[in-house]
Amino acid sequence: MKVNRWTVARRCVQLAVVALLASPLWSREVFEGTLASASLLGLKLSDPLATLQVLLLTGTLSLSLLIGSATVLIFYGLLGGRVFCGWVCPVHLLTDLTDLLPWTKRLRCWPLSGKTAALVAALLLSLLFGVPAFETVSPIGIAVRSLTFGGGLGALVLLLVVLTELLLARRAWCRSLCPLGGLYALLGRVGPLRVAYDGGRCIHCGRCSATCFVPEVLEPSLQSGAARVTAGDCSRCGACIGVCPTAALTFNCARKTNKPKEVER
Amino acid sequence: MTERDEKMAAPVAGARAALVGTAVTATLLAAGSGYGWKLRPPGAVAEEVFLQKCLRCGRCAHACPYAAVQMGDLADGLAIGTPLIVPRQTPCYLCPDLPCVKACPSGALDPQLTDAQKTRMGTAVIVEREECLSLKGLRCEACYRACPLLDKAISIENYLNVRTGRHAIFEPVVHKQHCTGCGICEQVCVLERPAIVVGPLQPPTESLYEG
Repeated sequence: MKVNRWTVARRCVQLAVVALLASPLWSREVFEGTLASASLLGLKLSDPLATLQVLLLTGTLSLSLLIGSATVLIFYGLLGGRVFCGWVCPVHLLTDLTDLLPWTKRLRCWPLSGKTAALVAALLLSLLFGVPAFETVSPIGIAVRSLTFGGGLGALVLLLVVLTELLLARRAWCRSLCPLGGLYALLGRVGPLRVAYDGGRCIHCGRCSATCFVPEVLEPSLQSGAARVTAGDCSRCGACIGVCPTAALTFNCARKTNKPKEVER
Repeated sequence: MTERDEKMAAPVAGARAALVGTAVTATLLAAGSGYGWKLRPPGAVAEEVFLQKCLRCGRCAHACPYAAVQMGDLADGLAIGTPLIVPRQTPCYLCPDLPCVKACPSGALDPQLTDAQKTRMGTAVIVEREECLSLKGLRCEACYRACPLLDKAISIENYLNVRTGRHAIFEPVVHKQHCTGCGICEQVCVLERPAIVVGPLQPPTESLYEG
């Protein structure tokens, strides 16, 4: 079997992120904190959704949170929002591994729009309960904290995510349920980095759709010949590019394509 | 199932999933809302605001050189992911530079706290007067000697031991206006169940017997 170079690169980055998140165990020189808020070589970083919940609850923001979340928003705004999901989030790594099991391919898929609903629900529940609701139950927070503080009962939440993806729907958490993914999918609509499609080279073998965890964002390009994948749900994971036998799919950083009609979408 | 049926079924299943997710979250949050008092790191704002502001990021815990700050688990209900101090395991040693407060990005630990001795996490209380060795007339005073604000937060008051009629009782007395709530006294208490523990600064206002 041909090795998907982009997937190998992504696994390396995912594991490097896990190592970085576990690094406070040995030294706080490089990294301190979790994905909710951290200091990376002195650079302030904060989760924009956590920041949004705090803003909603308290009406104010500390300078640290403002700078930290702006930095993160600019970073993922430039790379494409769900780059966080594909390349950074440890829960995505966990569900990537779950998805390697053969029978998950036969499960149904829930619609991608569920994430937007989850985002709205997270904000409403925050107001209802007076706590940042998603930070309280977030499997991402639980997973990352367990790296340096050890696991506990919170691992049950991770088990719930894995079981849902094994039994109910394929990639259910990452495709349809995660509010943070919902936020980054909205952010992913802007940003110059896209998967570009060259219809002239495509032999319609279908391998790209088969490897993509959100194939519905790839399909419109394949069917209409649109030059770039414009949907915010694309995590720029590169799996489709790595698997394409004719190099019909590539990463494209241009602000405009030779088909301006498609850009307007 | 026809293709059209599948197209109709997918959003319904998604909506159902979103509802189930919301219900699970709401149940978890509701189950956790009956939390008890928690000893928070130095500078923690009032508990209600603390739960709003705390990002559950763990930076205070990473910053603590003694690993005294732990992170709450699912068993702690709403306090899951929030920082706690369990003095009997590791108390707060009141670092003069307050690294936990400096690490907090959100202000859940108030950055206006700059003098560790002005920390008010809670206050020590002698809860087992009958068990306290000093109050029994022995020369224990372990809590008094370990207190970082010796003679201010805990002083020794001595008076005649009426039981023997010829000895003194050296009673440790907590002075709330100086006590930081660091919990060192609770940790060093020689009893299996400590006679002195850190509790809230104010007694609970609601009836203990409600709900």
